[in-house]
Amino acid sequence: MELMKVLSELCGARGVSGNETQACKKAEEYLSGYAKVSHDAFGNVYGVVGEKDDARQTLMLEAHIDEIGYIVTYITDDGFLKISGCGGIDERALAAQQVTVLGKKEIQGVITSVPPHLSSGESGFTVDDVFVDIGMTGEQAREIVSLGDRVLVENDLELMQGHCVTSKALDDRSGVAAILLALDKLKGRQTKYNICVLFASQEETGERGAKTGAYKLEPDIAVAVDVSFAKTHFESEEKCGIMGGGVMIGIAPSLSRELSQEFINTAKNSGIAWQTEVMNGKTGTDADNIGVSRGGVKTVTLSIPLRYMHTPTEVIDLRDVEATASLIAEFAMAGE
Amino acid sequence: MKMIETLKKLCLLDGISGDEGEVREYIISQIKDYAQVTVDPLGNVIAFCKGKSAKNKVLVSAHIDEVGMIVTYINTDGTLMCDCVGGVDPAVVYAKRVTVGRKNVRGVIASTAVHNISKSERGKAVGFDKLTVDIGCQSREEAEKLASLGDSIRFVSQFTEFGDGFVKCKAIDDRAGCAIMIQLIKDKPEYDTYFTFVVQEEIGLRGATAASYTVDPDYAFVLEATTAADIPSSSGSKRVCELGKGAVVSFMDRHTIYDKEMYDLAFELARENDIPCQTKTAVAGGNDAGAIHISRGGVRTTAVSLPCRYLHSPSCVINSRDMQSAYSLTKLLLDRTYNR
Repeated sequence: MELMKVLSELCGARGVSGNETQACKKAEEYLSGYAKVSHDAFGNVYGVVGEKDDARQTLMLEAHIDEIGYIVTYITDDGFLKISGCGGIDERALAAQQVTVLGKKEIQGVITSVPPHLSSGESGFTVDDVFVDIGMTGEQAREIVSLGDRVLVENDLELMQGHCVTSKALDDRSGVAAILLALDKLKGRQTKYNICVLFASQEETGERGAKTGAYKLEPDIAVAVDVSFAKTHFESEEKCGIMGGGVMIGIAPSLSRELSQEFINTAKNSGIAWQTEVMNGKTGTDADNIGVSRGGVKTVTLSIPLRYMHTPTEVIDLRDVEATASLIAEFAMAGE
Repeated sequence: MKMIETLKKLCLLDGISGDEGEVREYIISQIKDYAQVTVDPLGNVIAFCKGKSAKNKVLVSAHIDEVGMIVTYINTDGTLMCDCVGGVDPAVVYAKRVTVGRKNVRGVIASTAVHNISKSERGKAVGFDKLTVDIGCQSREEAEKLASLGDSIRFVSQFTEFGDGFVKCKAIDDRAGCAIMIQLIKDKPEYDTYFTFVVQEEIGLRGATAASYTVDPDYAFVLEATTAADIPSSSGSKRVCELGKGAVVSFMDRHTIYDKEMYDLAFELARENDIPCQTKTAVAGGNDAGAIHISRGGVRTTAVSLPCRYLHSPSCVINSRDMQSAYSLTKLLLDRTYNR
């Protein structure tokens, strides 16, 4: 599997929370190479690898398919759109962004800002202070745009220096790509577990797809693959992973300590670059809901270090995606 | 080539103040068959179009530089520190893509993730002292191979036509003026006319200061993009001017009180010829007229501008119809000025 190509296509697909169809289609297309795929009305994508063997436990590999974006809440008489966050947006990233509005047809727009010539020097603003300028009258706008339409910044994947890439939606398409890459590594191999896959909707708005998805797939153990903070200039070392430092194995009261340790052992034994990510309660990822699905699921998080989370300019190191995929594959094959 | 296509070419070229070479080369390539072209020590392009002799020496001027940023320091972790070149609100550069230096290195401008900022930092723009340019390097040594102190940092922005005749890109201020001037030159003015494509407007009208001294005109017309705030959060005079309502002719801004007779003439010509034309409802901003009108013993100066939203951001927005209005009005003004 060509990671750059797959990741680029996944990131390019649109999937603002609650409206993940395009991203789901793209993920399903790749997943179908490794598993029997299906999807449901909630926006979840499911995959079942091989035939189920009742003697084995079921391992669920999970990543969320949705991304941060905006939703239209009002159309002004002069054709500007009011928006609200769809997920935990970074309001500082609003000003002067070019956006796509997914109305009856796709249209382009710009998020308003006040130029320095006219501002009083205080340049703070929230999502309530800005509009989307689509260059239309109120009448023209209402013909194309409806309340509830999604709005997003479309930054395609670009290669940076070293092994870094930047794009929108690396949170969590890089997790989706890591799972696909793991399945690619497992192709034709015997595994210790029945393997199923969940690409869950609506993580950014409250980890909802994972709740219904885990119920449906009924796993015994689960790996939630998401992104976490990578150290950069204005981040503190103690809160962050190291970019390019390998997969971050989660340790938290809400996760299975036993499973975390197994992943650490697997990483050590197979020489995969890894680091830990310690959380003091819940994890803020889909693992929180998966863990308490039905009668309880042993769950661990694997995180890909990412810079500038929830901006259209997220950055990851491809080697960390590789390490995540390798660790999943090694874990699934352990004892082969 | 249509004016809008020229505008697209010009906007997508990079030329922040003091580093305008790419834009200058392109402009020269467009006008060299139509004018006598010289480049002065600052990098201004001075073009003379020979026509009939006129009573007055007439100058038309637009600036070729754009706002951006400059690399001021390379951190040990391989990220770059930057500061603005020209008036850039750091709010509009946060979470944007940029191109750095002669090696055209891709970077992103960012800071602490929103999850990790304190309550008091929420809802506030991040200043340049808390922004870095991330080019994907892990160390200063690695970064130094790709970027140097003083490198220009340019916005990455698509040229997008949207809505009802609207156009979005970086650098519309003032490539729009440049595009109109190129068209005027290609249309071969009837009388002798000087055109200056000037540098360093954004850092203090410096190119125009030198170029207007050299040309020594009687009358000058500055073609600009001026700030429009016709968005729902501003009302009345705070909107300053509005897109789609035509060329903007100002009576006063922060650098210039414009020649009253020429101001009146502009509106008279606009009325007579059904050209949409408006004025600014606030004394705000400024342009090269500020330098030109006090050049040598003084120059009678008029500014014809395009109303432009989100000025000095990676997403400036104009309406293409206003560009046509500004072009038509300038042409009429020139015709009435040569032998005044």
